[in-house]
Amino acid sequence: MPVQTPADALRAAGIACEPSDETLGAVVRLEAARIADALEALYAEGYDFLVDLFATDTGERLELTWHVRAFERHEDLYLKATVDYDGEAPSVWSIHPAALYPEREAAELLGMRFPGHPNPKRLLTVDGTEPLLRRSVLLRTAEEARLS
Amino acid sequence: MSAPAPIHREGMHQPVAVPCGLRCIPRGVDELATEHLVLNMGPQHPSTHGVLHVLVELDGEEVIAAEASLGYLHRGIEKLAESRRYHQVATLLDRADYISGLHTETAFALAVERLAGIEVPRKASYLRTLMMELNRYASHLVWLGTFGLDAGAMAPFLYIMRDREMLLDIIEAVTGSRMMFNYSRPGGVVADLPAGTEGKIREWLAHADGWLDENDALLGGNEIFRLRMKGTGVIDRTTALAFGMTGGCLRASGVDYDVRRDVPYCVYPELDFEVPLGSTGDNWDRYVVRVGEMRQCLRLIRQLLDGMPEGDHGSKMSRMLKPPAGEAYAAVESPRGELGIHLVSDGGLTPYRMRLRSPAYFNLAVVDEALAGGLLADAIVTLGSLDIVLGEIDR
Repeated sequence: MPVQTPADALRAAGIACEPSDETLGAVVRLEAARIADALEALYAEGYDFLVDLFATDTGERLELTWHVRAFERHEDLYLKATVDYDGEAPSVWSIHPAALYPEREAAELLGMRFPGHPNPKRLLTVDGTEPLLRRSVLLRTAEEARLS
Repeated sequence: MSAPAPIHREGMHQPVAVPCGLRCIPRGVDELATEHLVLNMGPQHPSTHGVLHVLVELDGEEVIAAEASLGYLHRGIEKLAESRRYHQVATLLDRADYISGLHTETAFALAVERLAGIEVPRKASYLRTLMMELNRYASHLVWLGTFGLDAGAMAPFLYIMRDREMLLDIIEAVTGSRMMFNYSRPGGVVADLPAGTEGKIREWLAHADGWLDENDALLGGNEIFRLRMKGTGVIDRTTALAFGMTGGCLRASGVDYDVRRDVPYCVYPELDFEVPLGSTGDNWDRYVVRVGEMRQCLRLIRQLLDGMPEGDHGSKMSRMLKPPAGEAYAAVESPRGELGIHLVSDGGLTPYRMRLRSPAYFNLAVVDEALAGGLLADAIVTLGSLDIVLGEIDR
């Protein structure tokens, strides 16, 4: 069993963070720029499995969520950070190759960037598509899209 | 953009400098080297299980590099869910993984229930579990048949579709549909088993074991099939974990993890079943693990029929369901692996954000690594062994 909480491990690695216990589970909020360092430090604590990575438009900024799991202990942890609409967060593919697809997806659907991604192309949409998951992008019917 | 220097640590997956994408073309060791061939597999290839496009770089028959290109089935399900009421979202989710819609629906229902604090009647949980297991069996049958096709075995596919037809008739009698069920909703399920269904399921069960043995003998008992499977498409334990693989693909690599047992939901804690495991993570292991899972499926269905309680099949729900602001994650073990719904609510009538953690999406990401070094013919079999459903990957 871990002798320290994930937040303690991050602080020991010199990463400022704010833990909280929510309906979601254990959540740690931190600065987006430190996410690669944080996942690296947590990897050593047993958080060796990236379950998911996605972004949400909060209406003011983009909130990124890295859902990691300590596989042996079945413990889940959510790391959250916010970035500006045209902001960036370091790619974590070299720690968790599982991030390769979701980072490309988040970049195209929310319009932010993951510097360091080895293959930063679109994954799901065609070139020129607006960042569809932004709240400012409204749903249109096929007819409306054709007429616009 | 150049890739950052990979981090090397004991026991960790060692990423190559360029983890995905075609390496470099032409890539000769000297000026006399032969040119590599780039081949397009798909997006309309019979062996890609949906509209998937895989670019492979070939040196003769050997695959040097591969890159999957997705998005041909992207319908924006996550975006559409933001404009649908909670009761309407299941309709979209059936179309995500169209082979096993009941799992996706149930994951969503579980997430809403967790967020809104809704208790589900025991009978509803039982019905959900029973229907999910029937659906898992139907999904594995599709995989078994198409996997045989990928390896060049035509006959088992026809027998398997005959078996599946009987199962789909049962599912249709209960849910009203063969594919787009809309059966499991927040609060419970739509309807109880109609009269006579238990008898129909038992009648099917009486044949199912024999049929599975027969199909297993036709495929797994075939020397040529075995030779094609053993030692090809190897995905070791470290790689599988690093790429976020789950489900049968992960268990074939020897990782003992099953959401049904390790993070239980519905009535799985009350049921007795085993989790089949592989060791090397080759195509043969993935075959053996899934066929083993089908046998466990039949075992679970029998237990569920025997233990089916009396009671309501759903709790009274408001049509204007408004879960409180917050976030919740619920996962189920779909036939392809851990299928999670991450739900963000702002207290309104529609989800603020719904994220579908698709297992096949993560299982597919590994092909860029797994196909390299093998033969082109094996690449087709390896793709088939991953049991991908593009509707769920592209969403």
